[in-house]
Amino acid sequence: MKILVCIKQVADMESRFVVSEGASWFEETDLAFRINEYDEFAIEAAVQLKASLGEAEVTVLSAGPQRASDALKKALAMGADKAVLLLDPEAPKKDSWQVANLIADWAKPQGFDLVLTGMQSQDRGSGQVSLFLGELIGANSVSCAVALEASPGSIKVERELEGGLRAQVELSTPALVSCQLGLNQPRYPTLPNIMKAKKKPFETIEVTAALDPAQEVLWMGAPEKAGAAELIEGDLASQVERVVSILKDKKLVG
Amino acid sequence: MKALVIGEVVQGKLAETFGELLGFAASLGAEPVGLILGDTAERPGFEGLLYIGTGAEYAPAAHKAAVLDVIEQEKPDLVVLMHSAYGWDLAPRIAAATGGRQLSEVISVQDGVFRQSCCNGKLQRRVKPAAGLTVVTLQSGAFPSAASAGTPVEKTVEQSSDGALKLTGYIQKPAAKVDLSKAEKIVSAGRGVGKPENIAMIQDLATALGAELGSSRPVVDAGWLGGAHQVGSTGSTVSPKLYIACGISGAVQHLAGMKKSELIIAVNKDKDAPISEVAQYMVVADLLEFVPALTEALK
Amino acid sequence: MALESTREIYWNIPSSSIPLMYLLSAVATGVMLWGFYRRIRVYQQGETWPPLSGLGARVFRGLKLALTQKKVRRQRGIGQAHNLFFWGFGVLFLGTVLVFIQADITDPLFGVRFLTGRFYQLYSVTLDVAGLVALVMIVGMFVRRFFVPSMRGGIKPADLWMYMDLGLILGTGYLIEGLRMAVTELTQNPELANYSPVGLGVARLVAPLGEASIRSWHFGIWWFHMLLVMAFLAMIPFTRLKHLLLTPLNYILFEDQPKGYLKTLDLEDESAESFGVATPKDLSFKDIFDTDACTSCSRCQDRCPAYNTDKPLSPMKLIEDMGKVCFAMENGSLIDGVGKDALFSCTTCGACMEICPAEIKHVPKIIDMRRNLALMEGEFTGEEVAKAMDAMEVNGNPLGFAPAKRADWAEGLDLVPVEEADYLYFTGCYGSFDSRNQQVAKSLVKLAAAAGVKLAILGPQEKCCGEPARKMGNEYLYQSLAMENIELFKEKKVKKIVTSCPHCFQTLNKDYRDLGLEAEVVHYTELLAKLWKDLRFQLGKTSLEVTYHDSCYLGRYNGIFDAPRDLLAAAGAKLSEMSACKEESFCCGAGGGRILAEENLGTRINNKRATMAQQTGAEAVVSSCPFCLTMMEDGTKNLTGEPVKAMDLAELLVSCLPTESTLEDK
Repeated sequence: MKILVCIKQVADMESRFVVSEGASWFEETDLAFRINEYDEFAIEAAVQLKASLGEAEVTVLSAGPQRASDALKKALAMGADKAVLLLDPEAPKKDSWQVANLIADWAKPQGFDLVLTGMQSQDRGSGQVSLFLGELIGANSVSCAVALEASPGSIKVERELEGGLRAQVELSTPALVSCQLGLNQPRYPTLPNIMKAKKKPFETIEVTAALDPAQEVLWMGAPEKAGAAELIEGDLASQVERVVSILKDKKLVG
Repeated sequence: MKALVIGEVVQGKLAETFGELLGFAASLGAEPVGLILGDTAERPGFEGLLYIGTGAEYAPAAHKAAVLDVIEQEKPDLVVLMHSAYGWDLAPRIAAATGGRQLSEVISVQDGVFRQSCCNGKLQRRVKPAAGLTVVTLQSGAFPSAASAGTPVEKTVEQSSDGALKLTGYIQKPAAKVDLSKAEKIVSAGRGVGKPENIAMIQDLATALGAELGSSRPVVDAGWLGGAHQVGSTGSTVSPKLYIACGISGAVQHLAGMKKSELIIAVNKDKDAPISEVAQYMVVADLLEFVPALTEALK
Repeated sequence: MALESTREIYWNIPSSSIPLMYLLSAVATGVMLWGFYRRIRVYQQGETWPPLSGLGARVFRGLKLALTQKKVRRQRGIGQAHNLFFWGFGVLFLGTVLVFIQADITDPLFGVRFLTGRFYQLYSVTLDVAGLVALVMIVGMFVRRFFVPSMRGGIKPADLWMYMDLGLILGTGYLIEGLRMAVTELTQNPELANYSPVGLGVARLVAPLGEASIRSWHFGIWWFHMLLVMAFLAMIPFTRLKHLLLTPLNYILFEDQPKGYLKTLDLEDESAESFGVATPKDLSFKDIFDTDACTSCSRCQDRCPAYNTDKPLSPMKLIEDMGKVCFAMENGSLIDGVGKDALFSCTTCGACMEICPAEIKHVPKIIDMRRNLALMEGEFTGEEVAKAMDAMEVNGNPLGFAPAKRADWAEGLDLVPVEEADYLYFTGCYGSFDSRNQQVAKSLVKLAAAAGVKLAILGPQEKCCGEPARKMGNEYLYQSLAMENIELFKEKKVKKIVTSCPHCFQTLNKDYRDLGLEAEVVHYTELLAKLWKDLRFQLGKTSLEVTYHDSCYLGRYNGIFDAPRDLLAAAGAKLSEMSACKEESFCCGAGGGRILAEENLGTRINNKRATMAQQTGAEAVVSSCPFCLTMMEDGTKNLTGEPVKAMDLAELLVSCLPTESTLEDK
């Protein structure tokens, strides 16, 4: 089975984000980067499938600047077989449609049986690239998988719905599945795999074409605190006293 | 302006969020055209056209085809869905077929410019889509629900069968002893409690207040509490009189589930945590110290 | 006639017995040697040869330690008893050697007899007293082992035979002496008899039996004694007695490395099939030898913080289990033999290695097994640890804070650029990000300023020293973090480093040397103590009554006990020591990377230590380590009864600085 995993390298969410005046994205200085959490579930799912199917090849791909190669190397260390970097320094600023087309242009001719990716990115959270990609390459797609089973030709997925309900879906390949929190526990790479990863095929392709943007970012910044919360600081006893009096005021406690 | 608003059907029931779609359309002054795909006896109450398809309630390719069909007929400016499991699954398919203009999980709109949250709520963007039909998904609770009034004029739309993808059933999680959506007071535990042993102190505070115990998603995923306690877009949406968030940073999905609470008090070491946006009060303290102290004081 | 002070060797023993005696000795010695020899095959499963450089010095060291019983005597009470027993038996052994020399060498070859006269008198009384001491000790130790309830758990199968054999050897020895003296000295040479007081007593008792009867008893018991000694020789390698050879050998084979040394693995080694230790062939000769040198004395177990809080780890049992796997000769799994829960419960406090009379190194073996799990399986003791590893890799700190925020604590403080500094203050992750420990970092900066010492910090570029990763077995992550720090130090031309964390101190000052660090590294207690002695700053007096908690990595691993106490005295604090203090300090529970993990088994180590602090009656428990402070903060909160405050020494000293600092930073 030919499996493609699409990942994105994102800034660590604990970072202090700084957006310059008039910029459409935050500054990257002093930031720590990691693989998008949801994409880690996709990598893990692919590696597990490879182990259970016996015969499968897992390619991991990212569209991004040079630093994304770190993310791809970690994916190789988790067990992917080859990596492809669609080198595009502007990728973080591009919209989902542009990015999906970039990936589809490369991926469509490759003829993958299954594409796995995270259901959304931690930074943008649009959840669009996955399904855009599915449509562009003509795969049967389903989003938000919390359980996954695959055999050549057929994929079974449990989709997570509201209220903890799960929908059971069956689909035939070529398929695309986006992965949700709870699908699996991504493995910690072992040292032999980290070492092997250094020798695995790594292809870098410079991106030249670019679709016109489907949207324009007029402003990005910290949320305006309209009606911001009143801070209750100070020593513990006075904080407790304040909260108790608020609760009493609203008649929430006797 | 015309907005095609798409409802969702799960297990034969029409989701109540249809009202929010109508509310959104109303806030734009747009004429709503409704579309519901999936076999349901329920109908929303509004004045306008309502397309009904009675095929499978989850069949993405067939649903996409039906939507495109209606778009062809009605030529709306916007296609609107909730940012729900159904919505985020269907919206990109529609957008991909109509030029790739989609804005997900919008929280507000002004003069055709949409506002979105990103980076765990730490940042926001104001985005304008390129000209042409745009697909928009709404953050749950961001737009007030329109009051149900009137009877729509119904039209049918054909829903083909989806060969390559099949919904084979549903799995219901075990019956919850707790129904947070009806709770009057909730005390919630977030990742900030640190260890499963500390959940007990949150429960103690809840008990002292006569409140239910809630949680954010990471706590449930870590197995510290059962799914019944989860508050958020994939858990319960709650609107209690009192919501105390302990060690919860305030990821958008959680906020979506509880920001309608009347009084929100957050307890967090980080005074900049996004939850302070929806909270009226933010106690800047170590919850491991504050929570037991508050419990004591209430006894 | 002038009565000689001597005795006839082999009195009453027919000459036909002698060759038989030698034959039996040869057989017994053969069995003993064979018993040891077959063990060499087991040790050889370990592929690295034992260290043998400087053999002369090693042997000298081994003899010195063995003869002075230095390591044994550290356990007060039983240590002294063993010492007396050792010397008692030892003197008797020497006495027998002298007999052998005279009877088999000097007398037949040169006609020289030296066991006569004054010398013989001295010889005789010494042996009598020695034997009595040994006999009293062996009876006492037997009673302790078999009748004291807490000791009964440590009884090994052959123990009873061993005690009986030793006791009977001594007892029959006196009987033989007494029986002989009844015939040769009691009436015939009474003055000489006084030089064998115990024998004299026995002689008086048996005299009424009459010479013929005495002689047959003597002959019988002489043979019985001989067989007991043969049995003793033969049983040495098969019982606890093997420590007679193996413990001194272990002293000789010691690895001459700084305390707490861990092998720095060559992770680039392409020929390495695996890393860490999973099976006996991954161990070294010395490691397997260690498991055999264990006498099961349980002193390590008695002091282990994990064992004493009902966790499945006993350092003694861990060594025994490893030994079992090695001696089964099947290259079986050591990790399964020991158990993962036991393996991960270790805090690397080092109390086991400190007290071990056989110099067994428990902790490096535990780390090596953890390395196998971490590096070869990606396995840690819990998801929370894997997450912390991930955070160290991405954010350079296990807490997951943004690296850009690493210097936030120092905003507005009296710091200088690195080029101008006297010392680089390597703040560490807890000092930088944990709100409680940020107070300590700020205190240190104030103290340095008061002493006129210029400090710099690296800020966002500083990475975790890597210690918790290393102790949890993730050598790869440790080395990458370490190399980044070392490159940075080189780039900034850092010559002197001060730390406020003993773990950073141990790691930078010892572990980083293998990776090329040359800068001088000190812990703040050493630096401040020196500055105080040099009168560089003044302190007012505090009224606090405190107890001092010696951090494992400051005290046991680095011998820094006096500096903090000198500083406490300088501040006028009233110090009450806990009974488990200094080298015997009881760990706070956070070491060995366990600061990253949840404590799910047994009871809380920090609660136990907090209770110990409370028992001194002190108002505050003072320590000099961010992990200890974190643990003591939690532990003291859980106390019932008299409250105890947890504080760092730096905070206490700052409160005594004469010019009161204006505390804008709260």
